Amino acid sequence: MTGKLPLEGVRICDFSAVWAGQSATMYLADMGADCIKVENPFVWNPMTRAASPRINPVIAAAIPAWLGGHPKGDPGPRPWNNSPAFIHVMRNKKSFTVDSRRPEGLAVVKALIRISDVLAENLALGTLDKLGLTDDAIRAERPDIVILHMPGFGRTGDYREGRGYGAHMDAVGGSTILRGYRDTSPYTNTQIFAGDFFAGMHGAIATLAALRHRRRTGEGQVIEMSQAECSAQMFPQAALDAAWNGREQRSIGNRSIEGFVPNGVFPSAGHDRWIAISCRSDAEWQSLVQFLGSPEWAIDPTLDAAGGRSSREDEIEERLTEWSASQDQFDLFHALQAAGVTAGPVLNSADAANDPHLAASGTWTRLPATADYPETEFAVPPYHFSESNVTIRTAPCTLGEHNDYVYRELLGLSEGEIDRLTAGGHITTTYDPTMLASA
Amino acid sequence: MANSTYALDGLVVADFTSHIAGPYATKLLADLGARVIKVERPGGDPARRLGPFLGDEPGIERSGTYQFLNTNKESVVLDLKSAQGREAAHRFASAADLVVTGCPPAVAARLGLDYESLARRTKAPVVAITNFGSAGPYRDYALSDTVLFAMGGEMFSHGTVDREPLKLGGTGALLQCGAMAGIAALGAIHAYELHGVGQLVDVPLFDVQINSVDRRSSTILAYRFSGRVQERPPGAGAGIAGGIYECADGFVEVTASSGNYWNRFVDMIDDPALRDPRFAEPAFLVSPEAKEIVDGVVYPWMFSHTRLEVWAAARRAHAVVAPLFTGKDVYEDAVFRERGLWTEVEHATLGSFPMLGRPYVLEKTPWAIRRHAPILGEHTEAVLAEVGFSPDERAAIRQEVPA
Repeated sequence: MTGKLPLEGVRICDFSAVWAGQSATMYLADMGADCIKVENPFVWNPMTRAASPRINPVIAAAIPAWLGGHPKGDPGPRPWNNSPAFIHVMRNKKSFTVDSRRPEGLAVVKALIRISDVLAENLALGTLDKLGLTDDAIRAERPDIVILHMPGFGRTGDYREGRGYGAHMDAVGGSTILRGYRDTSPYTNTQIFAGDFFAGMHGAIATLAALRHRRRTGEGQVIEMSQAECSAQMFPQAALDAAWNGREQRSIGNRSIEGFVPNGVFPSAGHDRWIAISCRSDAEWQSLVQFLGSPEWAIDPTLDAAGGRSSREDEIEERLTEWSASQDQFDLFHALQAAGVTAGPVLNSADAANDPHLAASGTWTRLPATADYPETEFAVPPYHFSESNVTIRTAPCTLGEHNDYVYRELLGLSEGEIDRLTAGGHITTTYDPTMLASA
Repeated sequence: MANSTYALDGLVVADFTSHIAGPYATKLLADLGARVIKVERPGGDPARRLGPFLGDEPGIERSGTYQFLNTNKESVVLDLKSAQGREAAHRFASAADLVVTGCPPAVAARLGLDYESLARRTKAPVVAITNFGSAGPYRDYALSDTVLFAMGGEMFSHGTVDREPLKLGGTGALLQCGAMAGIAALGAIHAYELHGVGQLVDVPLFDVQINSVDRRSSTILAYRFSGRVQERPPGAGAGIAGGIYECADGFVEVTASSGNYWNRFVDMIDDPALRDPRFAEPAFLVSPEAKEIVDGVVYPWMFSHTRLEVWAAARRAHAVVAPLFTGKDVYEDAVFRERGLWTEVEHATLGSFPMLGRPYVLEKTPWAIRRHAPILGEHTEAVLAEVGFSPDERAAIRQEVPA
């Protein structure tokens, strides 16, 4: 390992929020950027550090596990430093606090912008403008900066005032209508946040490309992404089927748009245990038939080709359901894979945490205990570089953890200035008590 | 824009991927200006056989999946099972700034696409997109989009508690993995250009999904912290109002559970019954009476408005509400069109057809479809000549792969 990181020397002034923005800058931080979260201790940014700044164990237990599963179910006095929903996107980042709405705070932010290479944000449209941080104002401080804007529905056009989270990007991008059960109305669809994941990755890609251009030419630029439009790229087959053939695709449940039959999720032995099976070719179907012991219903030659199986898919799924329901999902997984059939268990969060392959392949790294959570295994980034030290180099940043680094080391403020900003509530490691009281 | 330089100008990519995830990664690079030389097996990338097909007429040049995933690329057909094919592959690799592979470790070794073999011929970084990585008990197992999301992603908690877990639409999980490989590729390029560091970057699809910010990272951490396992919810609704509502011409997604979200939702519906002061009391908000009042107002209101009418009202009130678009809506939507979500492709043999356009807008460096997805083997002759094969050698290599 040389330790030489892809984005060594790149600094990010990070105003990003929720998952899409915060994951975009996380990927850049993984690559070695000095990513500095700008955090306002007087403003609670929804769904960015926790569900709420004040959560008691009863509330935590009442909200979904991904959001409420704080250490031992108790968020404690600083839920913003131990939310299972958000602390992981703080890895490799730094945090400093400042009230950028006040002139002295804005001056600090501008000083940081002057020594930054990227400014990233996905706040509600107009939030930065209201602070006085228009593109022009940002470029007045740093002419060659790369500015990443990731609003939900774009910065231009009639949808720009739309407000939404991941579920709403998924709705407009065409994800939600494509992912329900085949036999129920879309109003039963539950929320996921695939659009956050997808848009976040694309924000990083656009920034990495813009940084290459800047390294070669010295020229910065503004990047604009509509998260909803970006999400639409996750479903090109549905969009092109409409564009080319006038067809309006709807959900096909767990069936395959690639023509795999069978393709589905089948019950297995135990409570809420399931196995996914895909026959990706006619050969895989024959392997499955053999594995089943060549029962009479399956050796029917009209099922040899995917087209034939497709016309009897309901029946095939019923037969597989009858068969799989008594089988252990893990035994079946290994046996089917060994037999040449693509299959895998539906891993719940506990299964994934304890999965033997992930443990053996170095997916987890143990981070030491902090005041806000015990020693815990975190997932390392999914790109494994053989030379560059792209991994979790520093633990998720807590609120204001790097105030000294930013105010003293980077900005070189005097003790007097730091005292004044501290007295004004800018420099802190907790949120403003008045804000907390009203939360 | 006419004289602009592409962000990835001058970058040459040797692309040995096929199907969906790998080609999406290299498409992202190609659309920003990289030159991507796509090596296809005899008969072509299997994605050429995936729909939708242009005019519903199947054919290896008419696949929407392929056309979308391979814009701006060049196609070279090689049989990597032959020594000559492998030699050609290694010459492409040595002429490239980045190599991307997309086969299981055992296959890569057989075809000479493993890192050890490639590193003998090039100092450039190699991004290896694998199912389960290069080690561990599942290393040689197969994946589909569905099995990938079942194991790696948060399928378990998607759907409703009384039913089976649900996949994403289309091939969403694979495309997500392609985007992650795109990040890895650009990171590797920065390290190579900045530090001269060539290296292997392994991107296992399983790991990408385990790291998905679409709840998976969070559910795993929640389990480690609290022992809670994220289960499927009973239904879409949440609190006093929320989830998916049917309206005059489809459906809308609503978040209005409490606080500001509720207040803006009330502004959007603008009905006096919802301005009853009792709604300010948390205890009343959770009462059956409150739910009855809200449903009695909201359901008829929704049914009397179209999706776009609901969304317009939501935007005025800044309510957290948005319509469920279908692929047809994504294609026909006037605002998307005006903003440039769609573009038109001029194809050498198929005429012109619409194509999904840019996922982002870079102010100074173009995103553009400079050429349509390649016809199978369209560039075999030219690229083989470029890397120094004589006319006789080119003829021999091409003979191995009869069209």
